[in-house]
Amino acid sequence: MKEISEYFNKKDPVSLGKLLKEVENETPLSFEILRQSSSRKGKAHIVGITGPPGAGKSTLVSKLCKELAVDGLKLAVVCVDPTSPFTQGALLGDRIRMQELAKLPNVFIKSLATRGNLGGLASSTADIVQVLDAYDMDMILIETVGVGQIEFDVLEVSDTVLLVNVPGLGDTLQTLKAGIMEIADIFVINQADRPGADQSVKDLNLMVRESCKIDWVPPILQTVATKEEGISELITQMLTHKTYLQTSGLWKEKRQLRNITRLHTMIQSLLSNEVEQQIKSDESLQKKIQDVKNGTSDPFTISHEIVNSLIANKNSFQFGG
Amino acid sequence: MAQKTTNKTGKLFDQEVIQEIEAQKKRWEEQTVKGKDGEGEYYSDSGIPIKLLYTPDDVKDLDYQNDIGFSGEAPYVRGVYPNMYRGRLFTVRQIAGYGTPEDTNERFKFLLKNGATGTSVVLDLPTIRGYDSDDPEAEGHVGAAGVAIDSIEDIEALYEGIPIDEISSNIVTHLPSTTVVVMAMFAAMAEKKGIPLEKLSGTNQNDFLMETAIGSSLEVLPPKASFRLQCDAIEYASKNLPRWNPVSYNGYNLREAGTTAVQEVACAIANAIATSEELIRRGNDIDDFAKRLSFFWNLFNDFFEEIAKCRASRLVYHEVMKDRFNAQHPKSHLMRFHVQTAGITLTKVEPLNNIARSAIQGLAAVLGGAQSLHVDSFDEAYSAPTEESALISIRTQQIIQTETNVVNTVDPLAGSYFVENLTQEMAQRIRDYIAEIESRGGIVDCVESGWLHREISDFAYQMQKDIESGKHKIVGLNYFPTEQDQTKVPVFRYPDTAESRQKEKLKKLREKRNSEKVEKALNVLRQKCHEDVNLLPYIKDAVLEYATLGEIEEVFREEFGLWQFPLA
Amino acid sequence: MHIKVVMTKLGLDIHWRGALVVSRMLRDEGMEVVYLGNQFPEQIVDAAIQEGADVIGLSTLGGNHLTLGPKVVQIAREKGVDSLIIMGGVIPEDDIPLLKEAGIAEVFGPETRIESIANFIRSNVNQTIA
Repeated sequence: MKEISEYFNKKDPVSLGKLLKEVENETPLSFEILRQSSSRKGKAHIVGITGPPGAGKSTLVSKLCKELAVDGLKLAVVCVDPTSPFTQGALLGDRIRMQELAKLPNVFIKSLATRGNLGGLASSTADIVQVLDAYDMDMILIETVGVGQIEFDVLEVSDTVLLVNVPGLGDTLQTLKAGIMEIADIFVINQADRPGADQSVKDLNLMVRESCKIDWVPPILQTVATKEEGISELITQMLTHKTYLQTSGLWKEKRQLRNITRLHTMIQSLLSNEVEQQIKSDESLQKKIQDVKNGTSDPFTISHEIVNSLIANKNSFQFGG
Repeated sequence: MAQKTTNKTGKLFDQEVIQEIEAQKKRWEEQTVKGKDGEGEYYSDSGIPIKLLYTPDDVKDLDYQNDIGFSGEAPYVRGVYPNMYRGRLFTVRQIAGYGTPEDTNERFKFLLKNGATGTSVVLDLPTIRGYDSDDPEAEGHVGAAGVAIDSIEDIEALYEGIPIDEISSNIVTHLPSTTVVVMAMFAAMAEKKGIPLEKLSGTNQNDFLMETAIGSSLEVLPPKASFRLQCDAIEYASKNLPRWNPVSYNGYNLREAGTTAVQEVACAIANAIATSEELIRRGNDIDDFAKRLSFFWNLFNDFFEEIAKCRASRLVYHEVMKDRFNAQHPKSHLMRFHVQTAGITLTKVEPLNNIARSAIQGLAAVLGGAQSLHVDSFDEAYSAPTEESALISIRTQQIIQTETNVVNTVDPLAGSYFVENLTQEMAQRIRDYIAEIESRGGIVDCVESGWLHREISDFAYQMQKDIESGKHKIVGLNYFPTEQDQTKVPVFRYPDTAESRQKEKLKKLREKRNSEKVEKALNVLRQKCHEDVNLLPYIKDAVLEYATLGEIEEVFREEFGLWQFPLA
Repeated sequence: MHIKVVMTKLGLDIHWRGALVVSRMLRDEGMEVVYLGNQFPEQIVDAAIQEGADVIGLSTLGGNHLTLGPKVVQIAREKGVDSLIIMGGVIPEDDIPLLKEAGIAEVFGPETRIESIANFIRSNVNQTIA
């Protein structure tokens, strides 16, 4: 790869695609790419979209983008789907519901598999979003299935969180992780032409009133994404929420918090990488771990010993960059 | 039809005989078989456990008159016509279609000269998908894998010199959106030629599942819209084309995509149920249209299961039409079906083996009582059939018709303990699967929700795994795999000038027609899309003004919107 | 490193079974498969750019392989995309050399074991992108 800054300055999809590929694969270059994108980011409105499978999230995202793209906004969509824990593979099928976006030059779509946290860095989603942000996107929509742990990490990256559901959500709400209701800034009842939509709005109204949001009362909207109904209203609410964030100071606060969070996760991953390396190269440590495994030592004592020895050897290593 | 006059119905065997057979079978198992009944368990392709030996015990609950009966009488297990193939041999129907209509017209004439008894045409992808030959999206597809149809002039060229008032015309339109346009063109052409519509006989496919569940594409109409067009074509034909089969419920392609024989039949019947409900809602009487509904099955290599499927499908359909819809006319109770042998079972390795496969499948179709048959050509895994391979397919049919003598008696496998038992088992599984579809809101909802796609996808995935693991055996491929396959297969080449020739014709057409009148006709159609009316008459008006297929379907796409495929 | 595959039906071709089964089985082989459904060459290449695809898989039964296949390669190379481009489906033997000449890395017939597709991908993917 040539000078990374050139790739940032080019502002074309091909260059962006190459940058993202490095970050997605957590290659050695990704460190420099992230470093450079850090100073360029901050403008994009980041919208997280979550909800149970089958709620029509992809179609909704597609329709949102279609309408937003008319105004010439630069848009990015990040679709996160789970990696199979058995094969490490993934089938990423969100694009099939976004085929109508394929011919729009101002929409950039990236499909990501969760991949677990094996590579040392945290899930690459936040980093992918950062690079997109640095590439002058006006809005970044992150779509993720709201049934696991991963979406909490993803939603932390978002300014505005949409929780998408379908009528008759009594049961589906139960399947969502506790706490996800509190994260939502906008509730969407999609497929609202099905029976039970009004009841779902009532149920949600009750729950929203019980929640402890202070200045922003999450609106509850009905959409029929397949028929493009309710899309403009949803966009209006998304933008209203953005204005709210900006005037209340939360916009800035969220970005500051994200910077600090990223610092912490980076420290953690560097340290745990270093520990792994240390263990690999030190036979006495490996023996101690074997003792823990056999039950002749305990994890509490040995973890302290390992970290202490690491600190004692601190001159022997240095992080790259 | 003569009504049964006897009330003396009853079980095939009396209780005492059955008890004795049961006891003897037990003895036989212990003393003679002695556990040597083969290793492992045996199943049919759709998962029905198969016994070592069947006896009267396996059909002991059957009542001959009520459960099996006579051919041409309820419950039609033995066939839809009393004299079956003695009265009318199954139609030898070989698909043709490539290049321009003029090219396919030549192939029609070749096949008819060599003994084909009807025409059957397949359309190219742009036509099926609703694009004209000069549409940018059509590039590379015009006249490949089927014939290109853009306007009524093309339909006229396609059937030039073919006696459409004497022989039947099968048109593989696949999708309802294609069907309504092509059907309108066909009817308009006949009228222009002075042929009364009631003389036209033939079939088109017209299945919304083909548009929304089996095929994927960029721009698909929503299931409800596609289903509405499917019903429009059926309703129009029932009123204007009394000898036309306006639908061939397409189990075939469901099966090719990935279902069991049970699912294949159940989905098709569920679609017929949904159609009937819709047409009754529109004020039609079940007997107005039910007698022209026809079906399209796919026969794989599991010989007896496929035969049992054919028999069981007639049985279940009779129950649905008679008991559920209370159809009065006996013809409304008949399930008539076309069979095509299973393209997906044909191999690329040792391709001549495919002649044997297709012959066995074709034989099963005849033993199952099919009304018409297409035998796949051995070079299916290479290209569209050449003239030579298409001829072998016709010859295969003729050998079954004349040399095997299987057509001389009706339903020759009836009374086989195994076949009768399997027929009942298949019927029950078909009923259960229909019930499952209905519990999910019916076939249209099952497509809209993506449930049917998942069923297909899961089956296809499992099948591929079974082939790769060797659990599902295919000769020459994973069973006695070929070591050095030297077979050279001549490949059929599509005429590559088709695209330019079609474009040229379209250019002239657009110049000479009255574009104001075209616009006007399309605008009327546009309006009617949003009314609860049948669209066929308005489509016919448009084709008579030389509106093209692509222009008419663009109206559908704009007015009905597009649907995203609920895959993965 | 994970191998990312963009899998698509070429143009108007309507049979999705093959492409989806291959997609699911490549997932089982540990790859990340982005399934596009049906797309045309320009859009296929755009998707490959956005997804950072190591592999572009084209599936066709419709007889459009000689026109649309090479077009995908041509657009990809013009835009500087170096993904491995492979094709599967019912494709006449005689056309395979033409497709390879046009830059299609390999052509897989309907009876190919998915494992051998996966092995081909693994040994041919350009792992050093930078």
